[in-house]
Amino acid sequence: MEILCCPMCKGDLVLTVDEEDDKEIIKGSLFCGKCNEYYPIEEGIPNMLPPDLRV
Amino acid sequence: MRSITYHNKTIRLIDHVYEPAEDSFLMVDALQAHMSKGDRILEVGCGSGIVSMFAVDHASLVIATDLNPYAVKCTRLNGITALVSDLFFGIRSTFDLIVFNPPYLPTSEGDYLGGWDDLMLDGGPDGRRVIKRFLAGIGEHLAPGGCILLLISSLTGIKEVCDMMRYEGLYVEQVAESKCFFEQLIVLKGQLQR
Repeated sequence: MEILCCPMCKGDLVLTVDEEDDKEIIKGSLFCGKCNEYYPIEEGIPNMLPPDLRV
Repeated sequence: MRSITYHNKTIRLIDHVYEPAEDSFLMVDALQAHMSKGDRILEVGCGSGIVSMFAVDHASLVIATDLNPYAVKCTRLNGITALVSDLFFGIRSTFDLIVFNPPYLPTSEGDYLGGWDDLMLDGGPDGRRVIKRFLAGIGEHLAPGGCILLLISSLTGIKEVCDMMRYEGLYVEQVAESKCFFEQLIVLKGQLQR
């Protein structure tokens, strides 16, 4: 978590956890206040792609 | 589930992920020869995660990224910490070693298949499109004295890539090679001056 930053502005991210187990965060999001953008965490995998590169 | 074995490891594979080939194996061998105990290692474009699986044997930290979510899923199945990211964008840390087996083949319009399969191979018209973006960003992610290992083909333009690496302040050496049918695969090591 501490090695992640916003892929666009490189700023800090705020973590929201929706679901976790004793090992990792399963579902949640990372939010960049400066870019007003959310980066989702799904099935334990953070998606750090800017919105225009996501599928 | 499909799997392959290389050296002592079994690599699990899923659909839409680059199946380890000659280039992957050459990179594993180069990594084993050039990593040091305790290195912090980043693998960009990890595919199945095969290279990172060998990196964890000696590293203190291994992180892998890929644009392709199937590749990230596969890499995690293989026990490696991985995330979906464009190269290293979204990662704020420095590493002792950054490993990249990029899409290195020159491609033209007729070569496209559609979907994730393009991403694995598409190096742009000169084969150097992704490599160029990668090299432009490594300064921020390499620790002092840190290295990159970059795999290319004779079709990518060896001299051109070496020049691009030197332009980024790297000392360049060719550390591994393997002849394939119609091309030569090469691993270049680029070391940042301390």
